[in-house]
Amino acid sequence: MASAVRAELLKFLTTRLWWGMAIAVVVAGAVFAGLFAWVLTSAPEGAGGPGGVPGGDAVQVANSVYTGGLSVGYLLMLTIGVMQIGSEYRHHTITSTFLAQPRRARVMAAKVVALLVIGVGYGLLSLVGSVVVGAIGLDLVGEDPFPSTEILRTLALSLLVLGLWALIGLGVGILIPNQVAALLIGVGVAWIVEPLLGLAFRAFEFGREHIAPYMPTEATNAIVNAVESGPDSVRLSWWGGALVLTAWAALLAGVGSLLTVRRDVS
Amino acid sequence: MSTHERGARVEFRGLTKRFGGFTAVDDLTFTVEPGRITGFLGPNGAGKTTSLRMALGLVRPTSGTVTIDGQAYADLADPLGTVGAALEATNFHPGRSGRDHLRVLAATSGIPATRVDEMLELTGIPAFARRRAGAYSMGMRQRLALAAALLGDPRVLVLDEPANGLDPEGIRWLRGFLSMLSREQGKTVLVSSHLLQEIAQTADDVVIIANGRLVRQGSVADLDGDAHVVVRTSEPTALAAALEQAGLSAVPEEEGALLVHTDDLRRVGEAAHAAGLPVWELSRRRADLESLFFSLTEGTNRNLGSEQPGAASGAGEVA
Repeated sequence: MASAVRAELLKFLTTRLWWGMAIAVVVAGAVFAGLFAWVLTSAPEGAGGPGGVPGGDAVQVANSVYTGGLSVGYLLMLTIGVMQIGSEYRHHTITSTFLAQPRRARVMAAKVVALLVIGVGYGLLSLVGSVVVGAIGLDLVGEDPFPSTEILRTLALSLLVLGLWALIGLGVGILIPNQVAALLIGVGVAWIVEPLLGLAFRAFEFGREHIAPYMPTEATNAIVNAVESGPDSVRLSWWGGALVLTAWAALLAGVGSLLTVRRDVS
Repeated sequence: MSTHERGARVEFRGLTKRFGGFTAVDDLTFTVEPGRITGFLGPNGAGKTTSLRMALGLVRPTSGTVTIDGQAYADLADPLGTVGAALEATNFHPGRSGRDHLRVLAATSGIPATRVDEMLELTGIPAFARRRAGAYSMGMRQRLALAAALLGDPRVLVLDEPANGLDPEGIRWLRGFLSMLSREQGKTVLVSSHLLQEIAQTADDVVIIANGRLVRQGSVADLDGDAHVVVRTSEPTALAAALEQAGLSAVPEEEGALLVHTDDLRRVGEAAHAAGLPVWELSRRRADLESLFFSLTEGTNRNLGSEQPGAASGAGEVA
């Protein structure tokens, strides 16, 4: 099993994707932290966002600053997850992968572990960018960069978020066999369609209370306890969000793995 | 026939694969012996690749089994150390170097990295292998695929159309290489091809399939048939008698020719000379594998647009 994980990591590190993604993750973390530090502190203290600016307490502001790049980060991880399996089918390397390890469930398990490792790795990179820039930014505008130890929990959980989104990508990459289509649909849904759906569900009470909080994006926001876009939105606790996002990842990666184990490779 | 120490016996038993209503492989049964090169022949689309993929656990058979020394591929404890397979020339990530492709495979099976470089050396692509695979020629891809197949020092080699894209020099190299692996190292070698001449010289055994069915199997020596000499003269019956006296059996053919059961042109010529008969034609004929191959597979190709057996140089070829 360890050798299969090592092989998956080696696959990831032997194409040019990884360092391009690394740069993107660090830059996104830094830029969004700077931006959020400026925007979120320019709203009136403690206000619920009258000027369309989302509001929250100092902890939520700091959380949002440090995880501002996360929305870009998890889209990148989704991409990595799609490509970790999609490129195998696209370039037919899945044949050599399954020849070297015909027990396909082990291969899929190794991919899951490798993607979690990659998610944590990129999460750390992202935090380097966001915490350095964000802390300086908050300090400059006179806010406390570290108002609570809850910040540390948020930082740690943001690593989990990235790993889980990579697993969602893995599932998408299997369920949509064409890699380009999987990338477009995966990112399109996660970035645009799903948040819009979340908004739509919030328009009526049942949706607001029983559907919207369980959408992947909203669960992600709950995990990192970011500022809220509206005072009436229902949000899960951080651990509830973590469980919901884990369920999404398990569902997609699980169904995908099951398909891969059974499917003919030709 | 005991199992060779360094090889393994590969047994196809009633192997069948149906895609919907289409039967790609139909009740295929044959055995591939260790220490020999077995040519797996058939026109394009005959079901060779599907059969090999089923043997390697990549495609699930509708029914039937393939075992390697009694075990299914998926149950092998050390897959790369048991079977090395080169299935397609294109299965490399274009952005990954050939060497890294092998390193990934080596990592899966716990094969040391030094073995990667040895195999690149052996297949003659050590320098190219550090470049990204997207730039490789077909021939280099074939060599890289072969290096990947040999990585685990397997007992069985399964090569799907390995000569595709190789230049004549590369094909000659491949023949020598496969002979060395089977004869000196005792490995089982199964090579598929749609071109008989590619493997007729190298293979010990052949398995011919058409439309997913086995049409013939046996050793090349058996299938090749005995050599014959065709001789044409003014009085065939007189010559037949003279040949009889010289201890050669002859049967009449069309247009007054005689088919003599020997491969010794000189004896036939001398018999004619002794009988005082003119020799109009004296040539060797082989009821060879190639004509057999074409007669067995001609007209059975179910795939429109694949190549015709146009270069039918088989029967009656003058040697």
